[in-house]
Amino acid sequence: MVAERAKDRNIRIVQHGVFAPLRRWGTRWSLWPVHFVTSCCGVELAHSGACGYDMERLGALNYGIARQSNFIIIEGTITRKMARALRLVYEQMPDPKFVMLIGACGERGGIFWNSYNITLPHEIVPVDFFIPGCPVTPEGLIRGIRAVQEKIEGRGRTTIEFKRAELPKEEGEPRLVPSSPKYLATTPTIRVDIPGEGELPERLKPLAEEEGIRVTVTGKNRVAIRTAAERLEEVAKRLKELGFDHVKSVNIIDVPHERRMIIEYVISSYSVRELMPVLVTLFAYVPRAEPGLRSLKHVWDSADYCERELQDLFGVRFEGNPWQRRFILAPEVEAPLRKDFKLAEESYVLGEAPLAPKIEYPPEPLSYYLPVPDEVFEEATRNDEFILPIGPHHTGSGHLRVILRVKGDIIVDAIPDPGYVHRSMEKLAETKLYVQNIPLFERLSIADPININLGYVRTLELALGVEPPERAKLIRTMLAELSRVGAFLYDAGIFSLFTGHSTGFMYTFSIREMLLEIFVRATGSRCTPSYIIPGGVRWDVSDDVLKFARNFTSAALRRLSKFESIFVNNPVLMERTKGVGVLTKEQAVDTGIVGPFLRASGVEYDVRIVEPYEAYADFDWDVPVADDGDCLARFLLRLEEVRQSLNIVRQAVEALERTRGPVIAEEVLGEFKDAPDIRGIFFRTLGNLVLPRGEFTCLTEAARGTLLFTVLSDGESNVPYRVRVVTPSWMNLRGFMESVKGQRLADFWAIYGSFGYFPPEADR
Amino acid sequence: MFETGTMVGLMSEMLRLASSNRVEIPLVEPFLEMLPPPLSDLAVLPLWKPLFAALVVPGFATLGLLLLLLPWIERKLCARIQWRVGPKEIVSWLGGIIQLLADSLRFLFQEVIVNRDARRPYFVQFVLLSFIPALLPILFVAAGTIIAIRTEYSVHMMLALVCLFPVFILGMGWSSGNRFAFVGTVREAFMYFAYEVPLIFSVIAMVLIFGTGDPIKIMETGKLGIVLNPLAAFTFLIATAMATSRLPFEIPEADQELAFGPFIEYSGIAFGLAYVLAYEKLYVLSALFTTLFLGGGSGPAIPPLGELSGALWFLLKTLVVMIVFASLRAIYPRFRIDQALRAGWSSILAISLLAIVISAAEVMLWA
Repeated sequence: MVAERAKDRNIRIVQHGVFAPLRRWGTRWSLWPVHFVTSCCGVELAHSGACGYDMERLGALNYGIARQSNFIIIEGTITRKMARALRLVYEQMPDPKFVMLIGACGERGGIFWNSYNITLPHEIVPVDFFIPGCPVTPEGLIRGIRAVQEKIEGRGRTTIEFKRAELPKEEGEPRLVPSSPKYLATTPTIRVDIPGEGELPERLKPLAEEEGIRVTVTGKNRVAIRTAAERLEEVAKRLKELGFDHVKSVNIIDVPHERRMIIEYVISSYSVRELMPVLVTLFAYVPRAEPGLRSLKHVWDSADYCERELQDLFGVRFEGNPWQRRFILAPEVEAPLRKDFKLAEESYVLGEAPLAPKIEYPPEPLSYYLPVPDEVFEEATRNDEFILPIGPHHTGSGHLRVILRVKGDIIVDAIPDPGYVHRSMEKLAETKLYVQNIPLFERLSIADPININLGYVRTLELALGVEPPERAKLIRTMLAELSRVGAFLYDAGIFSLFTGHSTGFMYTFSIREMLLEIFVRATGSRCTPSYIIPGGVRWDVSDDVLKFARNFTSAALRRLSKFESIFVNNPVLMERTKGVGVLTKEQAVDTGIVGPFLRASGVEYDVRIVEPYEAYADFDWDVPVADDGDCLARFLLRLEEVRQSLNIVRQAVEALERTRGPVIAEEVLGEFKDAPDIRGIFFRTLGNLVLPRGEFTCLTEAARGTLLFTVLSDGESNVPYRVRVVTPSWMNLRGFMESVKGQRLADFWAIYGSFGYFPPEADR
Repeated sequence: MFETGTMVGLMSEMLRLASSNRVEIPLVEPFLEMLPPPLSDLAVLPLWKPLFAALVVPGFATLGLLLLLLPWIERKLCARIQWRVGPKEIVSWLGGIIQLLADSLRFLFQEVIVNRDARRPYFVQFVLLSFIPALLPILFVAAGTIIAIRTEYSVHMMLALVCLFPVFILGMGWSSGNRFAFVGTVREAFMYFAYEVPLIFSVIAMVLIFGTGDPIKIMETGKLGIVLNPLAAFTFLIATAMATSRLPFEIPEADQELAFGPFIEYSGIAFGLAYVLAYEKLYVLSALFTTLFLGGGSGPAIPPLGELSGALWFLLKTLVVMIVFASLRAIYPRFRIDQALRAGWSSILAISLLAIVISAAEVMLWA
């Protein structure tokens, strides 16, 4: 293995030769980490670089280019696609070079240990230092830099001997182990259209009477429409005429025991106000042997990227979709989400089996493939265009690759190549208990953890019919809004960095640091609280925390005004963002973008208003809407939203100080109803959770837009049969690529920043 | 073969030349007199003005010191604006002042990679050759009265040599054989057209007023250029920011967009050299700014330093100008190339033309 051979080679380089002391000293104090944000720990890396922790104190200047830096910090998961990039970046760096790996998932897989798409980075490049944690704290990261410095000096320990600890075996209930769904071939075990309570919307009534279309009301504002695969297109067109103008999710359910697959489009409306809360699941069965159907891209443009993704994940063919190549997966993985693609199962006993699945590494850098057909290159050459691939390792791209076709300075076309952080959440969720999926999904976006957590838990609550108590709702609302502020601050920081303004980045991250302190005090964790559980929250928040949160609202506003004066009101920023990357209202609806970016284009849609959840209806707040649809509008709208969020937080704190009561529903506690909170009885109450049979779809307004969770249960297993997550960033990708076209090259980064595109969230 | 007599004659001739045109520093005179006879005569040699100017002030030593200090000042200053500390731990009690020494040592001992697509001879040569336009202008810089080559055309020569810079950067970008380097190179070329004309115009405006290009004569007029023609000073500042790729005009390098553009493929000491190029250029242009607009080395004389006092004032002023440019990094985002071009060709060009008109008017008024 390459990595084995090269072990400690770089340390030897600095420690030999006539000038060894100078060489060691210079290298030690000048470890420039290459800007290689690989996964969610990147948020903590950003914190280490920002004020508060300030990595530069140690001479570690976060730097953009592989050729000129000498230090890679691998932030967590390296997916198969990213493994190629990692090798390439490592090879590009001049000797001596050092690698530090942070995060549990880089070491032995961490929470993603049985994923089909992750690799072990220390088998790809030699790693000098490991730091565990999920995610690591900035303190840990800085300690790691110190340790690498000492290793260069020759003072560090070269080996660590692990001791095996014998833990006393506790007698008691056996620990719960996820059980695979039983594939019963008798009756359809998975049913999408189980009738529920609710009324059929007026507009859909004519459709219900037609032959060959079965309309079922599955819940309040939830309608399932079943039709034959051949008629799907026709029904879709009629639904579009009725006002259903965008797709919220495209989903496939593999039902091997029925030898077919269910393909469903979850659609809704932005243009008709009374249809906004209605979610229609349009579905059809296709044979499993040769799954394929006509793409609905020309009906709903927003379905495009979801279809491309499902082609990879299920091996389904959407005829008529322009993209018939790999989209988010590396070429070596085939249809992993099919039920016959088995992963190692979760268990609590260390066995003989290897901890991670067998991985084949890219043999030579030449095999780094570009997912673009050769014709694109030929055409570009004919048209006197220039192809500029940006990412996945690029100072201003995060972990997304975009292939830009540039004519002069104008971007003609942008071809996205996502999937560099695809950690296969949807498949992993099928191997974990329902409650174990709470921390799993939180890793989607550790810049916005509470909202993701809330979205998943609300889906479980919808299925279980559990209503959290009043105080729990208030706590959830408060934390969700704080999380929204946190995500904005992260995105604003990245935005200012992308426009070349590092001060804006520092200012927002200093506010974020205070915000994380609230999370730590309330939930015990900076980025991954896993605090919200079905039926409430884990424990109550104390009055001290509430006081801190209230103080934070005013402190944040004060610091935000400084941020505004140096960044937002900067004339250069105005020049750069005004009228750039415009998405008109029609385009916004067509491309199906969500959240604040949709509202910046003039669509008044917010899940918190359309389908109020938690305690949002009790508070007094506004939803800002803009008409311009350009970068500036998107940014300023989110800034205004933060003010509203802080407003909600203040009201929630006041309400929390007034109310006292339980923080967890009695149904959940069951026999332990005297317990003040869930600590100590968590697994006994929630471990063996089994949802009723059916499909449950729940919308939540996360920081970057509508978050959709669809949980499908077979009614008998303690793991979900299928979970479909559609994250806001994923839906925004289409709009992002649309708005880039026709802009100048430098605008790409301004638009990127204004969309707050967060690849770990998008790739799932 | 020279005869011994000729050698001695040559030697004494050289010493005579050196002592006739030497830097007067009263502070070191007693030490020179304490030296034994042959040494005391030889000690005059480094104090020969042209040599002293080229090697010590404002030449090599000063430049080296500034190159080690200025990036540190820049990083530290930006860090303070950004509510953080900046480089520190390396020598905690001095605020990490030798950070750049560590960085340069690291670059020095790092591997230099010439990538496969690079045009090898040019790739290596251009980065070394680029020191010609970087170092030659320093010969014409007058630190107070210390100058290596004193001519009527010093200012013109500095400007001409500085304008050679982009050629070498273009060569570096072109020979890198990298897509981002290509875009960066094209941007560099465009920026060159945007700033060069206003830069030259603003210098012409000042030469018009002073009636000479000799920095010492300009200093002796005792007039502050920035008061005589603020518009020229303004255009000169903007053009300098563009020429040295300072934010908001850090467009060819644009590390978030093009990952250092023309320099993307350079590694090790080759990058170290490329990295300091912009600072060298900044030094030359700041020195020119000080000469033309801030009265050069004029200031209250400090008797024990003799001629060095003028040099000290000159360096202080230059440093202040450079720090102003360094702080821009923390204040401004980046313009787009078309915006910078539009500015360069419209408003800034117009202002620089206006500056010439003002100068002409002033000259006619006084005449």
